[in-house]
Amino acid sequence: MKNLRRAKWSNLAIIIASSIIVSGCNSSSSDEKEEVSQVTYTHVSQLGGDATAVSASDSGHGFSTPMPNLTTEQLDKHLAGDAHFETAFTTAPNSEHPELDGLGPVFNNQDCNSCHQRDGRSSTITLAQGQERVLLGPEAGIFLRMSIDDGECSNPSADNNYCKNAGVDGFGTQLFHRGVLKARDDWQENPFIGQADVYLAYQYSTVEYADGSSVELKKPIFTIEQPYDVSAENRLDSAILQANVRYSPRNGMPVFGLGLLELINEADILAIADENDSNEDGISGRPNWVFDPVKAKNNDPIPVSLGRFGWKASTPSVRVQSLGALRGDMGVTNPLFPDESIANTPLHESYLTRTNFVDTGVDEQGNTEASQEFSDEVVFYAETLAVPARRNIENESVIAGAQLFDKVNCTGCHQPEFTTATGELLVGGLPAPDGLKGQKIYPFTDMLLHDLGEGLADNRRDFTATGVEWKTRPLWGIGLTKTVNPAAGLLHDGRAATVEEAILWHGGEAQQSKADFMTLTQTDRQALLDFVMSL
Amino acid sequence: MLKKSLLALALSSVFLTGCGGSSSEAPVVTGFAFEATEMITNLTNDVIVAGYKNLNDEAAVFLLATQNLANTATEENLAAAQQAWKDVRVHWEQGESHIFGPVDALSIDPHLDTWPLNTSDLQDLLDSQSGFNATELKAFNDDVQGFHTMEFLLFGDGVADNEKAIGEMKDLEREYLSAAAEVFKTHTQTLFDAWTVANDPNDDKSPAYKDLLLTADNAVYASQLGVVEELINGMIGIVDEVGNGKIAEPFGSSIDNIDTTKVESQYSWNSLADFTDNIQGVQNVYRGEFLGQADKTGIIDFVTAADAAIATRVDTEIADAIAAIKAIAGDNDLPFRQAINDADARVRIQTAIDTLTTLQASLENDVLTQLKEWQQ
Repeated sequence: MKNLRRAKWSNLAIIIASSIIVSGCNSSSSDEKEEVSQVTYTHVSQLGGDATAVSASDSGHGFSTPMPNLTTEQLDKHLAGDAHFETAFTTAPNSEHPELDGLGPVFNNQDCNSCHQRDGRSSTITLAQGQERVLLGPEAGIFLRMSIDDGECSNPSADNNYCKNAGVDGFGTQLFHRGVLKARDDWQENPFIGQADVYLAYQYSTVEYADGSSVELKKPIFTIEQPYDVSAENRLDSAILQANVRYSPRNGMPVFGLGLLELINEADILAIADENDSNEDGISGRPNWVFDPVKAKNNDPIPVSLGRFGWKASTPSVRVQSLGALRGDMGVTNPLFPDESIANTPLHESYLTRTNFVDTGVDEQGNTEASQEFSDEVVFYAETLAVPARRNIENESVIAGAQLFDKVNCTGCHQPEFTTATGELLVGGLPAPDGLKGQKIYPFTDMLLHDLGEGLADNRRDFTATGVEWKTRPLWGIGLTKTVNPAAGLLHDGRAATVEEAILWHGGEAQQSKADFMTLTQTDRQALLDFVMSL
Repeated sequence: MLKKSLLALALSSVFLTGCGGSSSEAPVVTGFAFEATEMITNLTNDVIVAGYKNLNDEAAVFLLATQNLANTATEENLAAAQQAWKDVRVHWEQGESHIFGPVDALSIDPHLDTWPLNTSDLQDLLDSQSGFNATELKAFNDDVQGFHTMEFLLFGDGVADNEKAIGEMKDLEREYLSAAAEVFKTHTQTLFDAWTVANDPNDDKSPAYKDLLLTADNAVYASQLGVVEELINGMIGIVDEVGNGKIAEPFGSSIDNIDTTKVESQYSWNSLADFTDNIQGVQNVYRGEFLGQADKTGIIDFVTAADAAIATRVDTEIADAIAAIKAIAGDNDLPFRQAINDADARVRIQTAIDTLTTLQASLENDVLTQLKEWQQ
């Protein structure tokens, strides 16, 4: 290895020098390059424009650096939010550290970082040899959303409660599988249990290519036990085990570059929507229109916005996404979401009664567990994390893969580029930092919903998104996924261990692209994967 | 190794030959060469993996000490367990200079080192349960297990002193401690195995994490650049945390604004040892060897290839930071918890913060930036 590296260096000087000589003396070579590079993104390195990370894009710090174009004041606010992101919340009241209390009483994790490890994806839970299933606990960066199946909803209005999902009686719309010590009245037998236990198992299948090679795929299967609303003897009577309850897993996703996505002009997104597939390319793409708590708080007569974030584009802004997770995933009330997720349920009432109402979610002055300042800083943090730069962009296979990515029409949904908005702008109700504005970015998402087929379907509506639709995931930074967290998985439930597995799960509107990918030679498939890994 | 200046000169001559133009028209190319394989191999095997082996070995000693204490409640066994806790703590704190990979992916960091702990829940558990074992304790929330829970049980609340008489320790506390130490040992074993056997404990076909660093051309590290960047950013991360977090937050802006509740390892009064070991861990990575060992290749050699003066200066700044932290205790050997409330000690603490600030700036501005110049 050592000798090889030295040989490589010896050649490097020649290669660098030669290329500069050719470039400087003979302009025709750049024309030849243009012939090869027909797609605009092939040689682009700075995927986030001026908001691209510096000196961190090759390592596990790639998702964790502030945008380099922040002002000093903005950087201070970002760093304060960074500290909050790693705050491990504790049971309230915590007299020594009141700034840390507010966890639960039921929750999915104790801090932001546990589901967004190093600001990236959470670890996919694996099973040991012979192990049939595992109980979701502190290691799990995944939880279940749930709601009553009430059919589709397409035009949000006050009449249909803006297409909000109907929660399960006594539970709500998110299953909290962990709790503070005394969350349940059976805590002495089952310390730290939440609304119910959730177990994870896997169902395996194999996909074969025409050339005989194959890939094993795994699909998570969840089972629920010990729901709080019934005893062990009559557990099937629980409200969450009824046939009309729909579940959908939600894995933690990367949190960098969100401010840039937030600043893509709504008109630019809607311009590429093609709800009825009028161009007959088999790909529709439609927006999710969602309830906007910020608009509602500001008494907007129509509190509905374009959904931008979350696996089904079900939240309109980083503010709603982040503070919703703060209240939901961790149980920390905040000014935008001042009530506990389980407020007015029998579980909450029992908890409050047994613990003498010391953890109601608001203090005597009406202050929530997270202050406005804390909330603003954690939102700002998520809005201003830099996008990692690409790697290996001059690698031949990567360059070839860039063409193939377009050829098999991955770009049909993974829209390469946008330019962010300019002017006086509000994001989540506050002025947008200038560093986010007017940036030419390459997120590789159209921000729209697409039918991805039965294989990925959760069969649960989310505002106007149907049970087979998902928002196109941004691909920027995806090649650093395992660098940031070697145990991370892709897709909404972490089922895909590799980009290749993720592609093979695509169906529906992406069926043709997947089929085209599968008919490529092994070399070309690898080239396409190399390109995606360079992002 | 080829120095930056020599490389620039070599490339310039090629431009002149190739284009025949004047030197003023030639693009300026800078850079330096460094063969990183030996450094990465050494830092991976002899610093990171060796450190995790020490952690795991000392965790076994600590577990045994807690079991002895659980079985036989004597002052000697309590003292032995307290010392074993401090001994295992050394390796964890030094390892905080390279918090990446399995320690994060497998949630081992929060399992072992969540701070602050939840003393209220801990007391409720002790009051409500008839016994404890490792299997059930492993499923408890992180804030009632790990280093600081065990520290609290071993040393008491740390307010007036860091001593605990055996008579103050109930049977159930000793049982809880022993169960927590058993869980702790499973985590250190998992961490060591993830680096040396398979990074996914449930998949023996997954590569050992150390191999991902040693053969950087894989799904985790696309190149050696990524590994070196990881190591340098790891050092920056802990220098930042010690200077701006662990020391500065309890220190406050004035003596009227201190917060002893934020002092890490406040029950055992081990804080200054923690901070020293954190920066000792930085020195281990920078120099490539543990303190007192023979010279091996470390980040210092990488920086030397770029600029020898910077390399020497940063090495001195690391040593200065360690010395400044040690000096906080002063002649009267004040623990950090008391030092933040002592006017003379506060001067020494400010000096330590300043040296860490200087070191962090150098690592960010003079060391990390060399990656852009490195011609692999």
